[in-house]
Amino acid sequence: MLTNAHLKYESQKLGMNYFRVAIVLFGAQLLLGLVAAIQFMYPGFLFEVLDFSVARMVHINALVVWMLYAMIGSVYYMIPDETGEEVVGAGLGKLAFWVLTAAVTVVVLVYIFIQIGSGTEATIWLINEGREYIEAPRWADIGIVVVVLIFYWNVFATFMKGKRTGIMTVMVADLFALAGLYLAGMFFTDNISMDQYWWWWVIHLWVEATWEVFVGALAAYGLIKILGAKREIVEMWLWIEVLMLFGSGILGLGHHYFWIGTPEYWWEIGALFSALEPVPLVAMFVHVLYDWGKEQGHMEANAAEGEKAHAVNNTPAMAWIATNAFGNFLGAGIWGFFHTLPQVNIYTHGTQFTAAHGHLAFFGAYATILIGMMYLGVQGASGIKKMTMTFKTKMALFLIIFGLLGMTVALTIAGYEQVLVERADLGGGWDAYFTAQNLPWMVQAMGWRLAMGVVTFLGFVYLLWDLLTIGKAQAKEA
Amino acid sequence: MSKKNASVWTSIRFWRRSAAWVTGTATVLLIWLTFNTMGQISMGSDADLANGVKKRIPAPTVINYHIDYVMDQKRGHEVPVIGQKEPFFGKQWSAEEAAALLHHGKLTSQAKNCMNCHTLLGNGAYYAPDLTKAWLDPRWEDGTMAAITGKNSKEEAMAEFLMHPSQYPTHARMMPNLNITQDEAVALVAFLKHMSSIDTNGFPRNFSQNAKRLEGGTNAH
Amino acid sequence: MEPIISMPVIAPNEFLGIFAVSTMVLVLGVGYAALVTLSKMGYLSRKWIPVSYIFWILQAYSLYDLSVRIHSSPFTFKVLMIAMLAYLFAPHVYFYLVEQAEKRYSQAEEHR
Repeated sequence: MLTNAHLKYESQKLGMNYFRVAIVLFGAQLLLGLVAAIQFMYPGFLFEVLDFSVARMVHINALVVWMLYAMIGSVYYMIPDETGEEVVGAGLGKLAFWVLTAAVTVVVLVYIFIQIGSGTEATIWLINEGREYIEAPRWADIGIVVVVLIFYWNVFATFMKGKRTGIMTVMVADLFALAGLYLAGMFFTDNISMDQYWWWWVIHLWVEATWEVFVGALAAYGLIKILGAKREIVEMWLWIEVLMLFGSGILGLGHHYFWIGTPEYWWEIGALFSALEPVPLVAMFVHVLYDWGKEQGHMEANAAEGEKAHAVNNTPAMAWIATNAFGNFLGAGIWGFFHTLPQVNIYTHGTQFTAAHGHLAFFGAYATILIGMMYLGVQGASGIKKMTMTFKTKMALFLIIFGLLGMTVALTIAGYEQVLVERADLGGGWDAYFTAQNLPWMVQAMGWRLAMGVVTFLGFVYLLWDLLTIGKAQAKEA
Repeated sequence: MSKKNASVWTSIRFWRRSAAWVTGTATVLLIWLTFNTMGQISMGSDADLANGVKKRIPAPTVINYHIDYVMDQKRGHEVPVIGQKEPFFGKQWSAEEAAALLHHGKLTSQAKNCMNCHTLLGNGAYYAPDLTKAWLDPRWEDGTMAAITGKNSKEEAMAEFLMHPSQYPTHARMMPNLNITQDEAVALVAFLKHMSSIDTNGFPRNFSQNAKRLEGGTNAH
Repeated sequence: MEPIISMPVIAPNEFLGIFAVSTMVLVLGVGYAALVTLSKMGYLSRKWIPVSYIFWILQAYSLYDLSVRIHSSPFTFKVLMIAMLAYLFAPHVYFYLVEQAEKRYSQAEEHR
């Protein structure tokens, strides 16, 4: 993880830098998540020192930022492989990386030590914007836009200069939309409905449209790189996935417009298109099954000749990408479909159900594949021909998956109880809320969530340890 | 390859074009719907309120009116109903004053990071009660909090609580002191009152029966 | 405009069924797709094809049950059933696509 020894391209070295910061922020995300989980159990913990609102804000911001870092890192890493070119502005890219990292550090320190300000524009510009997920103050917003413009220019210009593969075409178009959408979250309005309408443009169109397509492109690259899959087939499927993901995901935005003051017609639009959102996930699933079966067939055929032609050349990366196919279906598909219909959503909206879905979907759809990309990076940087799982890799996989599933189940039980007691039975409100929070089902669920959070963190320790050591150890062996 | 007639279904070009068309169509539809929605969720005017014209998001001067949340049989769920005029912090607010107050309240709600404990319109964190209809919550409505805080009106009780939340704990899980000033507290209460007048298609459901149902206690254990 | 979706009041004891049935819809749907794919590839015997249709029938029933449980209007109900019919073909279409793509592009390799 700490070496670039075997990387020829500046672009890939830059990619590794992004991975390094990403993994640190991932750790920060988990730590602050633990603080918030403890506060659910013991509300006095760090009360008026580091309140839940602060812990939770850093928890979700670190999540978004580490994922963006790992995404940018992945793109820089794949550029030379895909285009056959060195990135055009390596120096500028490096400068942007350091500027962004400095800015992120300042923002996090301000979140933790200054926390809140007075009700003036100055707070929104300097301290935090108070809008879930995109709390970054306005000065940082503008900085992010500048850095992203540099990044995008790097990607675009290199793409125009070199080979224009299908994967890179999807990437370039998708990144344009991804970056452009951020602008929808950069203004202030007194109208809370208007505020949330555009806020969802950023959040939903990121995580349920552009990020999903991004992951599709990464998986396509990963399959070619790790399995030696045929580019034409992979790219044909990538276009089909783009069609289905954007076809369902863009208007699936409607499921966030049920209750924020927007008109009723969003009920039908949201219900229809979000019911379609699992369809591309099923398609990916069939595709994975087919590929896996085919590879198995190749292996068996070749085993007779005593040779493995198509063997996986990076089993840790492959394991994480395979987890992605299932995690995406489970977290985004099943846990999303659970509560997406308006008839059900009116009861589940704003309960721990959403938290359960959020945990499993962010992990299953994004964290998994980005970790896979980090292993690819380590493989390249250490010059390993064939990387295989170590004990630590397996422990990390097992503990993180087990922890995440455990947290999700616990939060689902908590959400179920909350829906029943607070919403369906008592009809919401202050006392209904606390009645539900104090029942044993909720309290025990929160206890299990904390325990499973600790398990996840242990898995992270193994992951970090593995990423730091696997390169050196296996390069020596080879 | 060139000899055989390859199926269109395996043509990369075909799928690329289809993907572009589907994405384009979905985007155009979304933009069109956005224009329609923008029209419906822009704030109404003071005149709309005076003339009883229903708007999904009323003007800031809605703070001068009594707000209720009642079952609408035709729509099949509860809707906010704007009633007679009532004083807010002991006075009627002009259109400019109300707009400035709401602006200050919304800014404060972001500056104090309300959304990372509470949900607003159901969005946010789940550590504290939903604030969508907080103005109408029986806790404030029935005078318990007014009695605890020693204030005469609901809005004054709310402002007092916001300024010194940990002095009036209701549960082990307390709201922290966020250094909210008197002005900010008044503005926040206006923001909450305005939010409770937004037509949220019946969310949160059964909220108007909250008080009655709480008396019965919950059946769950 | 009259909304097509009606908003029923759901009693506390109805939720477990709703969540269970909506999970079944997706689990059975994936099971159906997996069985069709695996048996067509020859990893499972052909005998599993009828079993996969049983999965589909159960899935269709689950969706029907879900639509009853959330008190869907007749229009929504029709849309859901048509969607179920469409899904009957989905795994076959997916499989046809992967297979054809495989044929076409692995030939391309040999020509190179």
